[in-house]
Amino acid sequence: MHSVQVEAAKIDGDQMDALLKRFERPLLQYATRILGDSDRARDVVQETFVKLQRENRTELDNAPAKWLFTVCRNNALNICRKEKRMTYLDQELLETRASDQPAPSENIEAKEATGFLLRILGTLPPRQQEVLQLKFQNDLSYQEISEITQLSVSNVGVLIHNALKTLRQRYAQASKDFLPFTPRIVS
Amino acid sequence: MKINLDDPNLTAFALGELSGPERSAMEEAIASSPEAQQFVAETQQFSRLLKSEYAADLHAPPARSPKIIAMEEQRRLWSPIQWGSLAAVLAIFAVLGGVALTAILRQEGTIAQQSPGKPIGLPKRSFSDAVVETEQSPADQRYASQPATAAPSPEMVLGEERAEFTEAAPAAPPPAEIASVGKTGASRSGLTTSIATRERQEAEPPSRYREDYNTATYDHVSENPFLAAATNPLSTFSIDVDTASYSNIRRFINSGSLPPKDAVRVEEMINYFSYDYREPEGDKPFSIDLDATACPWDASHRLLRIGLKGRDVTNEKRPSSNLVFLLDVSGSMMPAERLPLVKQAMRLLVEKLTEKDRVAIVVYAGGSGLALPSTTGDRKETILRALEELKAGGSTNGAEGIELAYRTAADNFIKGGVNRVILATDGDFNIGVTNQGDLIRLIEEKAKSGVFLSVLGVGTNNLKDSTMQKLADKGNGNYAYLDSVEEARKVLVQQVNATLMTIAKDVKIQVEFNPARVASYRLIGYEKRLLRTEDFNNDKVDAGEIGAGHTVTALYEIVPARSGAADPAASVPPVDPLKYQAPNPAAVASTYLDPKQQSPEIVTVKLRHKKPAGETSELIERSFVDNGLKFENAAPDLKFAAAVAEFGMILRDSPHKGKATIASVIEWATEGKGADTAGYRAGFIELARKAQTLKPREG
Repeated sequence: MHSVQVEAAKIDGDQMDALLKRFERPLLQYATRILGDSDRARDVVQETFVKLQRENRTELDNAPAKWLFTVCRNNALNICRKEKRMTYLDQELLETRASDQPAPSENIEAKEATGFLLRILGTLPPRQQEVLQLKFQNDLSYQEISEITQLSVSNVGVLIHNALKTLRQRYAQASKDFLPFTPRIVS
Repeated sequence: MKINLDDPNLTAFALGELSGPERSAMEEAIASSPEAQQFVAETQQFSRLLKSEYAADLHAPPARSPKIIAMEEQRRLWSPIQWGSLAAVLAIFAVLGGVALTAILRQEGTIAQQSPGKPIGLPKRSFSDAVVETEQSPADQRYASQPATAAPSPEMVLGEERAEFTEAAPAAPPPAEIASVGKTGASRSGLTTSIATRERQEAEPPSRYREDYNTATYDHVSENPFLAAATNPLSTFSIDVDTASYSNIRRFINSGSLPPKDAVRVEEMINYFSYDYREPEGDKPFSIDLDATACPWDASHRLLRIGLKGRDVTNEKRPSSNLVFLLDVSGSMMPAERLPLVKQAMRLLVEKLTEKDRVAIVVYAGGSGLALPSTTGDRKETILRALEELKAGGSTNGAEGIELAYRTAADNFIKGGVNRVILATDGDFNIGVTNQGDLIRLIEEKAKSGVFLSVLGVGTNNLKDSTMQKLADKGNGNYAYLDSVEEARKVLVQQVNATLMTIAKDVKIQVEFNPARVASYRLIGYEKRLLRTEDFNNDKVDAGEIGAGHTVTALYEIVPARSGAADPAASVPPVDPLKYQAPNPAAVASTYLDPKQQSPEIVTVKLRHKKPAGETSELIERSFVDNGLKFENAAPDLKFAAAVAEFGMILRDSPHKGKATIASVIEWATEGKGADTAGYRAGFIELARKAQTLKPREG
């Protein structure tokens, strides 16, 4: 239908660079959290950007973030399905049970010593982690998150509300009793 | 309507996700519910924390090694910077110390509040409980009632009235009482008298701070009054090169509120900026510049500027450094602008070290420990890894950490080099030795070992400003407040020589005013740095350090003799004639001018200083004749300094602020901006503009 303009409507190199620069890392983090594995996440993000090259520009101009996260998520879930990792497919499990993956935040923690809070984040149910990440790392609105995750807006609202509540409690508690290192007392 | 705190829409509202009628309805419901308001505020605060953690997470992608990341991050952050003074980094240590003596005397200004609803972090205990006890020690009492005549000890301080003040007195005295400064101490000569008259501190209404969850603590600052040159011809003070007050004020204004009055220390604001003074001649450690102009906030007065510039040290001459980072990793240090910022600052410093240098890291929280034994500066990877592994959590026992840090510094002492402990904290020592007096005595004891101290303050609501200033002062140190990576860059990179390398210590200034030319005068700022007249020639009395390339500026507002002006704010209350001795000779002289008194000079400035490792001071003297320069014709640099001083006075709501407004501050600062290559002066103008839009604090 748009065949006449197809060439002109493609993403050009500069735009691709800009999108890569802006979204590669956030998408990597996002996919890693779904898959629990940064190597697979890398593949998924690469695949996402390959699809992007074929994408019609007008779609993207409005909401590149929404497009990228949606495609990235679907790619990641496809891998889950293929590998029979049910983590992200079982709705009920997702919303109730605490994460048992070696939460990506823990990998991060071990390697880079980023925030203490991220470690606590890893203890939330995966679905809550996902919406928090979309909301607070990527600054997406409830509406956008709803479209990416196929959840209703009010469902997103409940997830975020509950997640923040739990997080704040655990953070306050952990602040009290978490000692971050093993002291080597030199006497 | 009763609001349900478990309503997801409340969170949605806090995050700005509601619109239209839903939003209006929620707004209305929240307006009537304090709990809901608190919930919204906490949610917003927490979401900012979460965002900053997520953002930090983004900069550290999982697949790379910490080393690469650390290096990349540095490159990203620092590449545009000029590294000219890099080598100097090591030298950083020695700078600003000793002045602290006078500071201790002050009672704690307590605006601390336990916040019932504080969502994050640990309960804080304010220091104020400990202070009274400290200040009543026998050593202090020695000087409590009258000036000591013989062998003053370094602990000697002025204005001993403090013990009778309990901080946070529940009944706040009316502001009018506070203004009545300057009546009692007139029998002593010099500026020191003003201290003794300090009034009961202003207690803050608790409710305001509960709302802010604010446990920050500032000492009460009572401004120097005008003193008559005839009866108080000498003004004596220690230099001060701290800059923390300015960055702290900037943080307040940038976050949308004016700072509490007592957080404003005018001399630290002025000294935040460097000025274009002459380079020292020959091998002298510093130069002295004097100039004067009409006082812009009161044209009938004169503004005298005393400017010092420390000799800069070339990179090749930088001595080896033995640095011990003492890092607070307690729970309160978790937010991004605290420990993560400190780590970033430390990385900057480490980048500049070489194999000549040594670095150790001591951390303290519930326990303290050596996170990195002393390591040579070429092993950057090891040092950076140790830095990266630090995380915040637990509560704070500062004293134990300080012990361990100084012991580590002593074990690796480099003779003739820079030996310095760099303490980074929000100052919240809430376990163990929390008696502030003990902590300060500990630091003071440690300073005798020849190890200097730098204090880097971070954090917002519970910043223990007064504690940190005192620690730095007692520990032969300097105190900087890091509100941003840019500030860290200024302190640890651009001005690293000044921060780390002391070129002269115990720098004291004594100004003699000529009563034939000067009716009265007022030292602007330096309230915590005043010395007694006789301390000037007493080498046992500690004073401030000056760092390589550092400039130090002091301003006096002067009422010229026979100006006839009856400015009530500048008038000096008369003193009754003495009954048992002849009238003060100086007073006589001012009445019956002898030829010597008719000298055209308005002041003689005397300066004493010691070499960094010396025990005996050297004296420099310089006199000054005021040629009546108008403010329009003043050097841009002086105009800028005047603008900063006036801004500070406006923020303090000083009785001496005159007619000037923030608009005139902006005008003078713009005229005085000069080349401003680093952009600090432009930043000041920007800050003044922001302050213009803010409402004054109540009370």
